[in-house]
Amino acid sequence: MRGTLSDRMGAALLMAPLLLFLILAYAWPFLGVVKWSFTLPTPGLGQYHALLTDDLVQSVFIRTLRIAAIVTIVSVTAAYAITVVWVRGSPVQRVLAEFCILVPFWISVLTRAFGWVALLSNRGLINTWLQSIGFISEPLTLVRNEFGVIVGMSHFLIPFAVFPLASAMRSLDERVLLAARGLGSSRMRTFWTVFVPMTRSGIIGSALITFVFSLGFFVTPAILGGGRSVMIAELIYLRIFQSPDWGLGAAISVVLVVFVGALMALLFRYVKPKQLV
Amino acid sequence: MTNNTTKQTIESLAERTKRGEISRRQFAQLAGLVLAGTPMLLRSTGAQAETKGLVLVNWGGDAITAYDAAYGQAFTKDTGIPVKMDGSGPTEGAIAAQFKSGAPTWDLVDVDPFSAITLGGQGMLEPIDYKIVDKSKMRPGFGWEYAASTYFFSYVIAYDSQKFGSNAPTGMADFFDVKKFPGKRSLYKWGVSSWEAALLADGVAPASLYPLDLKRAHDKIAAFKENVVSYWGGGAESQSVLLNGEASMAIVWSTRASLIEQDSGGQIKFIWDQGLISPGALAVLKNNPGGKEAAMKFIASTQDPQKELVMFDKLGQGPANPAADALIPADKKRINPVDPANMSKQIPLDMEWYAKNYGAALDEYTKIISA
Repeated sequence: MRGTLSDRMGAALLMAPLLLFLILAYAWPFLGVVKWSFTLPTPGLGQYHALLTDDLVQSVFIRTLRIAAIVTIVSVTAAYAITVVWVRGSPVQRVLAEFCILVPFWISVLTRAFGWVALLSNRGLINTWLQSIGFISEPLTLVRNEFGVIVGMSHFLIPFAVFPLASAMRSLDERVLLAARGLGSSRMRTFWTVFVPMTRSGIIGSALITFVFSLGFFVTPAILGGGRSVMIAELIYLRIFQSPDWGLGAAISVVLVVFVGALMALLFRYVKPKQLV
Repeated sequence: MTNNTTKQTIESLAERTKRGEISRRQFAQLAGLVLAGTPMLLRSTGAQAETKGLVLVNWGGDAITAYDAAYGQAFTKDTGIPVKMDGSGPTEGAIAAQFKSGAPTWDLVDVDPFSAITLGGQGMLEPIDYKIVDKSKMRPGFGWEYAASTYFFSYVIAYDSQKFGSNAPTGMADFFDVKKFPGKRSLYKWGVSSWEAALLADGVAPASLYPLDLKRAHDKIAAFKENVVSYWGGGAESQSVLLNGEASMAIVWSTRASLIEQDSGGQIKFIWDQGLISPGALAVLKNNPGGKEAAMKFIASTQDPQKELVMFDKLGQGPANPAADALIPADKKRINPVDPANMSKQIPLDMEWYAKNYGAALDEYTKIISA
């Protein structure tokens, strides 16, 4: 008992500088943003009322949620497949999977976005190749639209989706799978009816992390979206820097932070922080 | 001795030092004597303003080195005041944030004149001191209360000549005509130039363009959406949509148009007809740390035609001082947006209209293009 207490104290002490930094660098300034949202340009709830009535804010919010949902499905599905290989594959497959997961981590988000432009544009690699094998006659429009944004964002988020899944798969009791096979279940059936349900917490954790990350994307949609796929982060930028309307920009930020906070609370109800790394 | 006369004395000493009438060492001694006669408190402001540097904030990229080479280094050589270039982009909101922080770290901003009208009206900018800055070295109509014109660029039509054969577009009507000029288009994401282009294409006469009929412009832009491959947000993107063949025509900055022409070996051409002239300007933040006087002197120093030619060479910016036009070599006159031959084909953007209406217009535009 005493041991655990002092352990906790030690952990708390180790965490203190980080916590202090977060309070000073994030929480405190953000209170200023909250203040703006109730005071600019005039005191009151006017900005929050505008939020509910402004077509542009509405349409951007809806687009952001839609893109985040699609990106979450794509990322988690792809990450699940990669993670299965990473956790349960042969040694060679594991190294390969690890390589695919970690390399994107070391490349800047900007570089990756431009990389996708090079791949997906009209005279990009994919269109040129498809035309050369005669599969298409006219180049496909794969970028400067929502499709390009989804591809770029999913690519960025797959590694983040991998970790919660990996920890869920690693903590799974192997013997259960053997029992299922021993009782005559096929490989596929074992996978779908035993393996997948047992990694549920990983799937939920992975989906929520991906979704929360997606909500804040700025650079990727700006580069790959062709100016059409404005997402919420860019709208906040527009409100704060381009057409200064700090009150509304602040109100959007506050709503976004509250929404993300609620999602995180949901996440930690299902998943222990330990399982996310 | 008041603070002001102290400053003036020191400045005149500095002037004489510059002209070589007195040596630098003598200047230091004399300045020391002058300052010794002033109380401590005043000294801190008076003397510091003379030695403290200036921070000039522009839009980054090549502009950082160009501003330094054309203006910054020369100013430091002449006055001893260092000028630091910062490329973080002085948008209206960023300048407001600087001012409202109570302790601005910026002195000079390369600002959109319409933002300067708005910010100046809110008391965030110093009025330009036209006793120091010379209005006769500007084009008529381009010296504002809170901003001094420093360069020009235009929004022009650039097109892929390979796609249209001997047919070349002659104005905005052709830009919106995909039958006569097939292919996709690219427009500016932040609205400026798109409204004017739509109205000109719709038959509005250049002289009666302002105040812009936004509804008419937005209807035209909304109906044209399927022909637009992208709404570019930065110069690099506008270059790539043309160079990659994604768009057969785009409205781009003239500074980029000449680069695209070079990079494509002349395949992508551009026209000045119905181009939209946009002035760039310098403004000074209210209570700027480096002192109002020094900042105004810096602006005055940028009016030298020779220095403006450096900017023209490096960035393709048209000179603010009309005296510089004639100094541009004949083969380069073609890419000067304000060369008399080119300027006569174009329409200047109305900064007063933008100051009043830009925010609301941009909202509506963003809504339409991203719907």
